[in-house]
Amino acid sequence: MASALLTPDLLRRLEQFQLLARRRSKSSARGERRSKARGQSVEFADYRNYVPGDDLRYLDWNLYGRLDRLFLKLYEEERELSVTIFLDASESMNFGQPRKFDFARQVAAAVGYVALCGFDRVSVLPFPDHPEEAAARGGLRAVRGRGSSLQYFANLERLTAHGPAGFNESIRRRALEARRVGVALILSDFLDPAGYEAGLTALVGRGFQVVAVQVLSPEEAAPTTYGDLRLIDAESGAAQEVTFGRFRLATYQRTVENFCQRLLEHCQKRGVSFFRVISDAPLEQLLLKQLRQSEVWK
Amino acid sequence: MSFLAPGAFIFAAALPVVVVFYLLKRKRVVKLVSSTLLWQKFLAETQASAPFQRLRHNWLLILQLLMLALAIFALARPYFARPVKGGRLLVAVLDASASMQSADESPSRFEKSRAEVLQLINGLADRDQMVLLLAGAHTEVKQSPTGEKATLRRAVQACAVTDSPTYLTEALKLAETLTRDRPFSEIHLFSDGAASDLKDFEGKDLPLVYHRSGQRGNNAGIVGLDVRSNPENASQRAVFVSVANYSTNPVPTELELRFDGQLLETKAMTLPPTNTAAEVFIVAQPHDGVLSVRTTAKDDLAADDQASVVSLLPRPVRVLLVSRGNRFLEKAVRAAPNVELSLATDLTEAKPSADLVVLDDVAPTVWPAVNVLAIHCFNTNWFTYIGKAATPAIVDWKNTHPLMRFVTFDNVQIVESLAVKPPTWGLTLVDATETPLVVAGELTRQRIVWVGFDTLQSTWPLRISFPIFVANAVDWLNPASASSSQLMVKAGSAFHLGIVEAVTNADVTLPDGNVKRLAVDPVAREVVFGETTKQGVYQLVVGTNKTVFCVNLLDATESDTRPRPELKFGKYGQVAASSTRQANLELWRWIAAAALAMLLCEWWYYHRRTA
Repeated sequence: MASALLTPDLLRRLEQFQLLARRRSKSSARGERRSKARGQSVEFADYRNYVPGDDLRYLDWNLYGRLDRLFLKLYEEERELSVTIFLDASESMNFGQPRKFDFARQVAAAVGYVALCGFDRVSVLPFPDHPEEAAARGGLRAVRGRGSSLQYFANLERLTAHGPAGFNESIRRRALEARRVGVALILSDFLDPAGYEAGLTALVGRGFQVVAVQVLSPEEAAPTTYGDLRLIDAESGAAQEVTFGRFRLATYQRTVENFCQRLLEHCQKRGVSFFRVISDAPLEQLLLKQLRQSEVWK
Repeated sequence: MSFLAPGAFIFAAALPVVVVFYLLKRKRVVKLVSSTLLWQKFLAETQASAPFQRLRHNWLLILQLLMLALAIFALARPYFARPVKGGRLLVAVLDASASMQSADESPSRFEKSRAEVLQLINGLADRDQMVLLLAGAHTEVKQSPTGEKATLRRAVQACAVTDSPTYLTEALKLAETLTRDRPFSEIHLFSDGAASDLKDFEGKDLPLVYHRSGQRGNNAGIVGLDVRSNPENASQRAVFVSVANYSTNPVPTELELRFDGQLLETKAMTLPPTNTAAEVFIVAQPHDGVLSVRTTAKDDLAADDQASVVSLLPRPVRVLLVSRGNRFLEKAVRAAPNVELSLATDLTEAKPSADLVVLDDVAPTVWPAVNVLAIHCFNTNWFTYIGKAATPAIVDWKNTHPLMRFVTFDNVQIVESLAVKPPTWGLTLVDATETPLVVAGELTRQRIVWVGFDTLQSTWPLRISFPIFVANAVDWLNPASASSSQLMVKAGSAFHLGIVEAVTNADVTLPDGNVKRLAVDPVAREVVFGETTKQGVYQLVVGTNKTVFCVNLLDATESDTRPRPELKFGKYGQVAASSTRQANLELWRWIAAAALAMLLCEWWYYHRRTA
């Protein structure tokens, strides 16, 4: 099982992981996740009095022998976990070497693969809307089962990034539309002039267990172009004149650090797991170390 | 308007360069970025946190800095010291006499003249040079020839006005020497023209420009002060005061007489216009002290409104008359006031117990070291003897000398006189065609009055002038009166004091209370103090000896502050005052300063726009 997004070796290592859900699954479909529903599994949940019509196979005969009363053993119903990946496919994600969008797709592929291996339902919701990619996007909805992973990877590869993000609006709308809440993974650079607060708040409010991964390009973290610059915003087209030199690099980096720190604080206040990565960083660092240490998966 | 340095217009070539600067567009590199959000935050944070930013490498900035540095360099007026030909030599003579303190100009004549000198300096061309002379009691070269304006300005600022009279001749002679054989030279005299010595100076062809200061002659001042014993009561002192009024209006005033600071008497008087009035104070004096007179007249010059004199109590004069017998002379000496006379026929010791010795037609065994009146005898150290003059005809006598006060030589005939050459140490008081007849002077601190003829061989003893002359001579030769007169000097003149003990320094307390220490040569026989530019009472302490002396202006020419429209030199020369003169007033400083200000404004605007 090979993919352009993930190497076979990495896929093999990812197969060992299982996503950790803090809350019990509320999905109606059967799966391998514990839920509050009662049903058929090996996990004992409770007893209840026998009523006529109950399946006699679930009677506890040992208890009948001691107490001379009939009790029915109840078992937890195992349901599937819904994993929703919000993928920023705006123009700004096209920047960086390697591109931020490529890095984000790799993370989406990896998380999706881990979820598929765990019989969880995976949905990738790119934003903003690109009607011309409806087929690929449709193929990324409610993917389930390890056998779907190849198709899942192929659909991910067909996605492109362009247009303005509209982060808050896109996230809020998709959060409201989601039929199942579960784990939500946001892959974005969070560089939206309108901010990110409203979107994150809506997602948390809907009941998602949110994991936010901020992907920045190396050029954004430490610009290498100096002099008198006229910067054009790729998404809005707005121009900004700036004179920049090596001596101001530290100040700029402090600005970036402050921006990320504010994002981190916002996430921590709302129980959102936050990770910041540079697109040229090794993918394994994030997947095999950071996410594992933060118990996103085990 | 003309230009001192038209070559500077070559710098106009820099103007297109500045225009090119402004034509230069700030070329920015266009760059597509993922988002300008971080840059906006970055700019907001840097602008908010610090008013200054680090310097950036910017060629425009470097060029502007270079321009500014060059402009400042030009303002500093760098130069190479090398000999150049051409250029004018200007000699500025600044009068620093007492009359220049007159307040008829604002704030004073001296300050106005100082400002004019500074204007003259500002108008100097590049190759011009100037010498600055300060003319007071003595001429002082404040600045040798230089074209450096800053140095000249410093020298002018260092000049100070004095209380002394003016002696312009010395300054003009020096200026004449400096400008001699210089084709382009000018002498600029900044003065009010109140100088008495110009008659002795023949400066007909002097390239002199006279910058007159002074508006009016509203001044009344003390021009004479003397103190003597009261002729009618020897226990009292008579203070003679002359007050001159040079304004055209009568001036009411009060004369105040003080003794050691204590007011003794006040007399009201009205000074007639352009005239002199005299007043006599008769006062009792308990001890030696300083008598001060002050006039309260409101006028423009304060320097001549007070004068002081040291008054010593009279002591009997011990006179030794060495004579073979001269009743006229003996009676005349006895008639002099306060005299203790002793007689002798010969002198055997140089320092007899007498204040003065009268030698009458005798050649003493030992010549006296004290003051002497020598009649018909002479010491070979005094004169060069020529021979004898028979019936010398008296042609002139100087009645301005104290010895000749009230003395005339009308109807005096002389049979024979010794003929000598006029000595350098003495002043001829009575002159005949062949020889001086009466000489008075001071030689090695010994006062000598010499009469060349035998009084008994003349008709002089029969005249009233003879006892008067003898009385004057006794007074003049009296060491006490001599030292008393020595205790009053004119401002600017040196004060001499004989010393007997070996000292290495002396302290002078100035009128303002400051003490000045003088270094004295241990073998010197006198202390000389020359810094008497300010009038008032001085105290000199030499070892254990304290001496009080007074410095006064007492100069009628200085008190006459009427502006002189022209100066007269000698018999024929004269220079009219030139109140205005074409001066080259340079504008480059203002233009350069405006250029600098504009450059700074442009800088500020540039940074405000692009920050």
